Amino acid sequence: MEFFFNLVPLIPLIPLLAFAAIVLFTHRNNRLSSNIAIGGIALSTLVSWGVVLATILAGEHVQVEGWELPIPWLPTGTTVFNTGFAVDGFTAAMLFMVPFVCTMIFIYSQGYMNLGQPNQDPRYARFFAYISLFAAGMLGLVVADNLLLLFISWEVMGLCSYLLIGFWSFRDRDNEQHIDEAQVKRARAAALKAFITTRVGDVLLFSGLALLFSYTGTLTFREIFRPDMLEHLGSISLLGMPAVTVIALLAFGGAVGKSAQFPLHVWLPDAMEGPTPVSALIHAATMVAAGVYLVARMLPLFVAGFETANAPALQWVAVIGAITAFFGATIGLAQDDIKRVLAYSTISQLGYMMMGLGLGSLVAGIFHLLTHAFFKALLFLGSGSVIHGMEHGHHAAGAHGQTSQHDDGFSANDMKTMGGLRHKMPRTFWPYMAGTLALVGIVPFAGFWSKDEILAEAFQRWQESGALGLPFWVWLAGTLGALITALYMGRQIALVFWGEPRHEAATHAHESPNSMTGPLMVLAVFALIGGLANAPFLGSPLHHFMGGVHEASEVVHSATVSFNFAVAGLSTVVALLGLLGGWAIYRNYRAGEVEPFQRWLGPIFTLLRNKYYVDELYQLVIIRPVVWLADQVFNFDNRWVVDPLVNLVGAVGRAAADISLLFDKVAVDSGLVEGTAKAFNAFGGWLRQTQTGRVQNYLLVVAVTVLMLLGLYLYL
Amino acid sequence: MDFPFLTLITFIPLVGAIIASLIPGDREREIKWFSVFVSLIPLVLSIVMWALYVQTDGGMQFMEEAVWIPTLNAYYRMGVDGISIPLVFLTTLLTTLSLFYSAYTIKKRVKEFFVLFLMLEMGMIGVFLSLDLVLFYVFWEIGLVPMFLLIGIWGQPKDRPQYSAIKFFLYTLVGSVAMLLAFIAIFLTTGTWNILEISSLGPLADSPALAVAAFWGIFLAFAIKVPMWPFHTWLPDAHTAAPTAGSVILAGVLLKLGGYGFIRILLPFFPALFKQFAPFIGVIALISMIYGALVSMAQWDLKRLIAYSSVSHMGYFTLGLVAAAATLDVSDPLLTSRAIALSGAVLQMFNHGIITGGLFFLVGVIYERTHTRDLKAFGGLSAKLPVYYGVMMMTGLASLGLPGLAGFISELLVFRGAFHIMPTYAIIGVIAIVLTAAYILWKIIQYVFLGEFSEEKWRAIFDPEHWHFSLDMARFEVITMAPLLFFMLLVGVYPAPILNVINAASTAILGSL
Amino acid sequence: MIPLYWWLVVAAALFCIGLYGVLSRKNAIGVLMGIELMLNAVNVNLVAFWRYVTPQTLTGQVFAIFVITVAAAEAAVGLAIIIAAYRRRDTVIVDELDIMRW
Repeated sequence: MEFFFNLVPLIPLIPLLAFAAIVLFTHRNNRLSSNIAIGGIALSTLVSWGVVLATILAGEHVQVEGWELPIPWLPTGTTVFNTGFAVDGFTAAMLFMVPFVCTMIFIYSQGYMNLGQPNQDPRYARFFAYISLFAAGMLGLVVADNLLLLFISWEVMGLCSYLLIGFWSFRDRDNEQHIDEAQVKRARAAALKAFITTRVGDVLLFSGLALLFSYTGTLTFREIFRPDMLEHLGSISLLGMPAVTVIALLAFGGAVGKSAQFPLHVWLPDAMEGPTPVSALIHAATMVAAGVYLVARMLPLFVAGFETANAPALQWVAVIGAITAFFGATIGLAQDDIKRVLAYSTISQLGYMMMGLGLGSLVAGIFHLLTHAFFKALLFLGSGSVIHGMEHGHHAAGAHGQTSQHDDGFSANDMKTMGGLRHKMPRTFWPYMAGTLALVGIVPFAGFWSKDEILAEAFQRWQESGALGLPFWVWLAGTLGALITALYMGRQIALVFWGEPRHEAATHAHESPNSMTGPLMVLAVFALIGGLANAPFLGSPLHHFMGGVHEASEVVHSATVSFNFAVAGLSTVVALLGLLGGWAIYRNYRAGEVEPFQRWLGPIFTLLRNKYYVDELYQLVIIRPVVWLADQVFNFDNRWVVDPLVNLVGAVGRAAADISLLFDKVAVDSGLVEGTAKAFNAFGGWLRQTQTGRVQNYLLVVAVTVLMLLGLYLYL
Repeated sequence: MDFPFLTLITFIPLVGAIIASLIPGDREREIKWFSVFVSLIPLVLSIVMWALYVQTDGGMQFMEEAVWIPTLNAYYRMGVDGISIPLVFLTTLLTTLSLFYSAYTIKKRVKEFFVLFLMLEMGMIGVFLSLDLVLFYVFWEIGLVPMFLLIGIWGQPKDRPQYSAIKFFLYTLVGSVAMLLAFIAIFLTTGTWNILEISSLGPLADSPALAVAAFWGIFLAFAIKVPMWPFHTWLPDAHTAAPTAGSVILAGVLLKLGGYGFIRILLPFFPALFKQFAPFIGVIALISMIYGALVSMAQWDLKRLIAYSSVSHMGYFTLGLVAAAATLDVSDPLLTSRAIALSGAVLQMFNHGIITGGLFFLVGVIYERTHTRDLKAFGGLSAKLPVYYGVMMMTGLASLGLPGLAGFISELLVFRGAFHIMPTYAIIGVIAIVLTAAYILWKIIQYVFLGEFSEEKWRAIFDPEHWHFSLDMARFEVITMAPLLFFMLLVGVYPAPILNVINAASTAILGSL
Repeated sequence: MIPLYWWLVVAAALFCIGLYGVLSRKNAIGVLMGIELMLNAVNVNLVAFWRYVTPQTLTGQVFAIFVITVAAAEAAVGLAIIIAAYRRRDTVIVDELDIMRW
């Protein structure tokens, strides 16, 4: 089985080759292109699972110490920088999830982008190229053995998210029906926002990377996390903190951007402008998972700073995580767009993962990452299926001549136009319910186990410390977040699947093709049983599998938290209450009504619906001033100071030249130079009278002269 | 000395220019393709030379020496090391591509254009190869004249080409004069023009005031050429006015002359002074980086935007250089960091040549079709010109430093070095990275390519009567861009072939200061 | 035997007639003919001096033949110039050929 490790480089390479093949050769053949992409990622999944199996069989020495393949890459001064690949228990756990979820999403995309249908997307092949590259980025990130390769993959994903979110940001031909102008603009803005916002985080990570590289001379994880290296980093003081803390915080900045944590979360909801499979890809298996993965991977740095100097790197992770978890969930309550609700749910769930990591528990955070990837992919693909059904229903309604009067504003994403879809789309409905229950955290669905582990961890820390410190607030935020999560999911399923259809599109909606519902069912199975991977009553297998990866650093310790019935019970009760409550309140919502939450919450609801006005705040505080500054600097450069100065120097030079010229003309030129010339000129003018041009005159002069000379000669 | 690589590389373009000037002016086809062919010879020679260069040794190789002007004690001295090899290669590559591209796009006064271009190539290569101050200065000045004419004659009439050309010429000349005075002062105290010898002697050591004056004199010449803020305003004007190939060479190679001068002359001559003034020059580098990026963001003229982005990108170079010069410590961790910073700076020059050269070609692509560079006049072109979109996207991403493409590697190395030696500067400098992403994606990609394509707007700017090639990038344009794209990817994915020589040389230079 | 000075007088007269012709004739051909006369006067002198002063050597005769040859060439070139001038200016009157004036 060890043989499989040699294939590790292929895991990111295969989708990368698929990308290259589609872009360079097969982009004119849509079916072939998507088959290459799907085949690539499926092959990658096979290899990955082979590696996972090999890791399981290889036992502790690989799971904990890892397998490595260094490759000399970059000559740096007197040393050579190695890049390479590594696999340990943690990587293996990710390798189990990432390519598989990607495969499901790829298969689903074939249906979603209407392969072979008349309304097939005109850039169908390109879409598959991009998502292949996306998958390659994420897989490269997971198998990287050093921070630089991780960062490269990280940025490749950033690029792909830009391309995919903006996938509909331009119109190809006139025959593209389902893209309206407003969407083009929104997609364009969203793509830019996603890239720039995450870029802010990326730059922080890049600085952290450069700092780390400067102080240690290496970026290979195994070497950075050596105890002596951590100690060395802890002993350097930088900006009043140990360097290790600074680096950890900078890296966390990257994670905040990528994993859409507060305050850099703003791009994620807008990222819904991309095609739905992209949302699933970004929200579940890739992109946002990358940030969490990074923090988990770098956990020794966070902990080291925390332990050596009581510096707050780790606490920041927990605080940001808790804030995000609560704050994201509340916004989710007030959104109408089916995908936006899920987007805020993702933000909130990522907050949970950060909470888990911030408490120092690698396994709790990653366990939630894994289960969340399955059920969130499921929910997104399910919502995509609903949207797809609604769009078809809309077309069908249009074909039947039943266009309603407010048809112009129709959005297939708006939950208020849906209703009663559980009868129309049963094969979407049941997996969606599985995903909902998993997200809300009902026993025995996956989310229950993973979320509970985080809350149990917080609870236990609180009990240990005994004070109302950080762990308590984290636990409280988590539990309240769970309640709100259940509420908005109850509201969502009630609005989408229950009640009466509130629009012709919903009336005519029909079930999506098998290529879409198939992946839903597969994912639903994982949403149901995924939690068993680390279930306490099975002895927390995941914990044993990957818990030890940071042992070598001597700062991160893996200790299982015992299953706490009080915590689990409370969160289950809260989840059930919320889910049923939300469902009951919205079950009979009718079109055009003011919705109940809005009635009860009033201005708070408006605040939530407008996402706490964070976007507007950024627009006001950052974007406009920067653009203004750019304009002013340009004016400074071109109009006010720099260039005018240059021109002034030129003008002064020219003025000096003019003055010299004047002097030159009056005194030197006309006096001396021209005076001489004039004198000669006058003399010449007189002299030239002799030049008659008649040859005989000249000859006469010659003859006379000769005679005179002769006379002189003879008589003198 | 066996095979005179350096002499041949330098003077074959001159011979070609002379021969081309003997071809009757109306035989444009012959002149064009002859020039392209001539420019291929130095390209091939520089590749062969790179292959033969012994990479483990960072010092000068392929040295040539002959007495030139005995009364002046000036020698004809040439040599290459790992700093100059990539730059010579860059020069020959970009010249060939520019000539190839111009063969399709230059319509007026064809003969003069190609002859001047070959002469320009000689001047640029000569600067990178000469090891004698007199020779260096002569080549430095030779390059000015053809460029001046290229801007002035073939510039777009509405962009004030004469003004730009004269501004370029005078600006550079001011620096040159200061540099010449400094050179003479150095010669008077050391008695030699030999760059390597002066480096090891440490000129003007006994007269500190004169040394400072000489330092700033030379600094001014190179800073104008690089260009550093606040000596940069000739750049956007010259770029905007110049014909496409001229802009490519201007950004791709001429700016590198200044950078090369810093590394070859100023740093080895005055390491202690450089160290002393490093904090100040570092501030200039930061201003160039951030200021250039901000001004780029405010542009509505595509070419001007890219011109200003050069100011910003050459700021990264300066930061790397300053980091390498900010300490004289040659003990191991610091020497490594300094060498990394210097290698990053040199690689940044190479990358900037490839990337910004490419960007100017791409501006040419759209300008030849529409005769406008106004960002507001475009929109939604990705649907109309998908290949162009793809190529521009890749080049733009390389420019903003996306990992996996060339720009990232050099930025990483620069910051890797800078973070160790001058962390405060580095932290401020990273702001420029975000701004770069913003102006590339927001201004270029979004305004030109994304959004709704409007047939009406397009018809207002595009006249099919004047464009005889395909609407999307024509084959010759793709061929022009292909080598550049290849190098963006190669350097981004596997930089070792280029970085090996650079790294050996920068370690050697810093070790011998 | 006729004394030498007789020859010289004839030659001088011939020369003066030629000179007068050159200076006074309006027609360029006439001028040319005057020149011929002057040359022939020189020839007479040359031959006369040879016969009376140095009869042993052939120098004088040879010189005379040279002069005749040169005179022939001169006449040819001169006529060609005159024809060219006539074609261009439509005249052979030397007073009118004064474009070199001032």
